[in-house]
Amino acid sequence: MKEALSLVQRLSAHPDSRCWFVSWNPNGTLLASCGGDKAIRIWGREGDSWICKSVLQDGHQRTVRKVAWSPCGNYLASASFDATTCIWKKKNDDFESLTVLEGHENEVKCVTWAPSGNLLATCSRDKSVWVWEVDEEDEYECVTVVNSHTQDVKHVVWHPNQELLASASYDNNICIYKEEDDDWECRATLQGHTSTVWSLCFDATGKRMASCSDDRTVKIWKEYPSESGQDLSWKCVCTLSGYHGRTVYDIDWCRLTGALVTACGDDAVRVFKEDETANPDEPVFSLAAQVTKAHNQDVNCVTWNPKEAGLLASCSDDGEIAIWRFQEED
Amino acid sequence: MDGEKGQSDLFDSILLADERFRGEGYQEGFERGAHQGLQNGRRHGASHGARLYSEISFYYGFAITWKCLLQRNVDAKSRKRVKVLEFLLRLIQNFPLDDLQSSRLQEDTENLRTKFRQVCSMLSVPADFKDYMKTAEDISF
Repeated sequence: MKEALSLVQRLSAHPDSRCWFVSWNPNGTLLASCGGDKAIRIWGREGDSWICKSVLQDGHQRTVRKVAWSPCGNYLASASFDATTCIWKKKNDDFESLTVLEGHENEVKCVTWAPSGNLLATCSRDKSVWVWEVDEEDEYECVTVVNSHTQDVKHVVWHPNQELLASASYDNNICIYKEEDDDWECRATLQGHTSTVWSLCFDATGKRMASCSDDRTVKIWKEYPSESGQDLSWKCVCTLSGYHGRTVYDIDWCRLTGALVTACGDDAVRVFKEDETANPDEPVFSLAAQVTKAHNQDVNCVTWNPKEAGLLASCSDDGEIAIWRFQEED
Repeated sequence: MDGEKGQSDLFDSILLADERFRGEGYQEGFERGAHQGLQNGRRHGASHGARLYSEISFYYGFAITWKCLLQRNVDAKSRKRVKVLEFLLRLIQNFPLDDLQSSRLQEDTENLRTKFRQVCSMLSVPADFKDYMKTAEDISF
């Protein structure tokens, strides 16, 4: 059987609006979505189909751009264009607003929890990246503000097993931060994309990173020990070009199978697989499957289910979520 | 011979008058313009300098006041806050206020504003001091 992406279900998640982002909870049973309708919806499986379990409203005054689950799965963070980040706590089957993180000057573009669950990072159009510390009493305090980008910061993501943070920006660069004497510093700036970097993700080991951009390419970056031993050294080892007709908005590296999936402005979802026999310093990725008309409009986000290999969710400007199954070759 | 030469000079001065007056006019205009420009520049610099200085003085006053309020508290939270306030105060003290040509001016101003925002966030003070702070405004995605 040939590798293919088959549609499992399509959900009208944020009707008459855009669906900006979807995120699986750590055990893969719930999917959170957010959109231009200022709402967050939680989807769960019932029998063979996915249904809306709850709607989180009144948390934000403007578009909710991203949502993130805490590693324990009991908290949800939402980043909004109203310049705030909301923290929601799971209570039985519902969620209640726990606290609102204020501080960014304008639109918050992304929020993400560190694997330890003690740190949270946010980024904004105000060009800054903030790191927040969470204590036992569910109190959040900003521990640092870093200004390493010269433009809008689009995405932040934590390293899977080190306290390392990476950010992508409209200034075409990727920055990597590390804590240094109670403060966070940009320790590496990755240059290579020729336009906005929209998203990035680490692989399961954290030794490599994939980034996607408005320049219609995907780049794979690999960590190398640096000569001085001080600064972090990342090199671009592979560029995937020619596959995407428009801006690549999102990318996700499956922690279970190693497959890459991309969300593109040409309405398509594409899955890439790595050639295992290639030289690790010159990895080779090839297109394994694609759905050219995955959505009616720009695909904003794609994400692999963390527990069920091959299951993935995508969402689009058309307000819909699509759930797909990637079938491996037998 | 002399008469002929005098005559040619006379004709020359008439023929070249246009060029001469243009040159003099240019010179005069240039001097006036330069003077005007200098005055405008001075005014512009003074007003922007005053605005920047008042912004930084505001941060300084804010930080000093909060430090005074918190420094006697011994709880961990207050200690942490005082630490960040002290960091802000250090940034202000090291700010190149006397060196207007400093290449760090822009960057340091940005860092200062960012640190101030962090301080406000830690103290749960809304950072909407519009009269003092500079903010960017346009649309985004």
